Amino acid sequence: MNSGCHNEISDRADWESWLGQHAPKLLLFARQQTRSEADAQDVVQEAVLESWHRQTDGAPPAAGLVFATIRRRAIDLGRSADRRAGREMVAAGEISEVWFDGGVEEREKSRLIQEAMSKLPENFREVVTLKVWGELSFAEIAVVLEIPANTAASRYRYGLAELRKHTIGIFP
Amino acid sequence: MTEHESENFERQLRRTRPARLPASFAARLLAAEPKPSAGVESAPPAPSTADYLRTLRRSLRWLIPATAMALAVMVAWHDTSPFTSRPAGSPAGPAAASPLLKADDVKIDQRLVSSFDAVARLPGGEPVRFRCENWMDQVVLSDKSRGLVVENRKPRIEVVAMGYETY
Repeated sequence: MNSGCHNEISDRADWESWLGQHAPKLLLFARQQTRSEADAQDVVQEAVLESWHRQTDGAPPAAGLVFATIRRRAIDLGRSADRRAGREMVAAGEISEVWFDGGVEEREKSRLIQEAMSKLPENFREVVTLKVWGELSFAEIAVVLEIPANTAASRYRYGLAELRKHTIGIFP
Repeated sequence: MTEHESENFERQLRRTRPARLPASFAARLLAAEPKPSAGVESAPPAPSTADYLRTLRRSLRWLIPATAMALAVMVAWHDTSPFTSRPAGSPAGPAAASPLLKADDVKIDQRLVSSFDAVARLPGGEPVRFRCENWMDQVVLSDKSRGLVVENRKPRIEVVAMGYETY
């Protein structure tokens, strides 16, 4: 009985710790893939649970697997016709959600980075996000995006250079 | 950008952390904690629709070949069974006791004939996507010593839920 309770507490703590470590970057990526906050949250939750259930040993899934599942789910969602109207509406207007954290001084910087990121072509932006904030290697990014690792590395270089141009005022 | 500039820029970008989860979403994720499959004494949670669909999909994977094998065994048993009725006056003795079909080659084949997607809604309104596949199952038993071939073909429709899980 005691060991069961201990397991539950330990599992709960592991779950909280895993979420604390990975969920913000997963949501950041999902926000860029779905363009709707509600869809992004749904996709993250579904992808995390799906990846977790796929583990046969009960261990937490690798972040790369969850990113790949998010992308697949977002593509499925994007194909759904009844979401199209909402997506177009969001794409036409301002992005309402905040992608990055920041204190009082950092808030403006975060906003400018978000603005610069949203100006990047999508194929550059997703590689930059996965590398810088997802902390994945190029090999892992290649699996997530289903592209060769060299392509991932080259997109990253171009993406970073492009982002640098847009943020030259923030990072002189 | 040089390698050094690029690394420096990456470091600066990394200092900006991804936004924290909205409180309601964080609570939702915490509540959705995956349960371990074994080793916990508490009663298992009630399975959701998605769990049922997953179980069904897993069952279909082994059920189809198992059914085909069972069918092959039944055919062989039926032909050799002493309880099988024989026409009156059929020869008895060692020759009659020998099996009519001794399968020395069994082939089980599944072919995908067509596939399409359909979307439905659960009573709660959640959308579920189904992948509908038409299969042709084929079992071929051969008795090369007697030159006999028994072939059984059966069409089958498989519906697999691909859809959006509900929690």
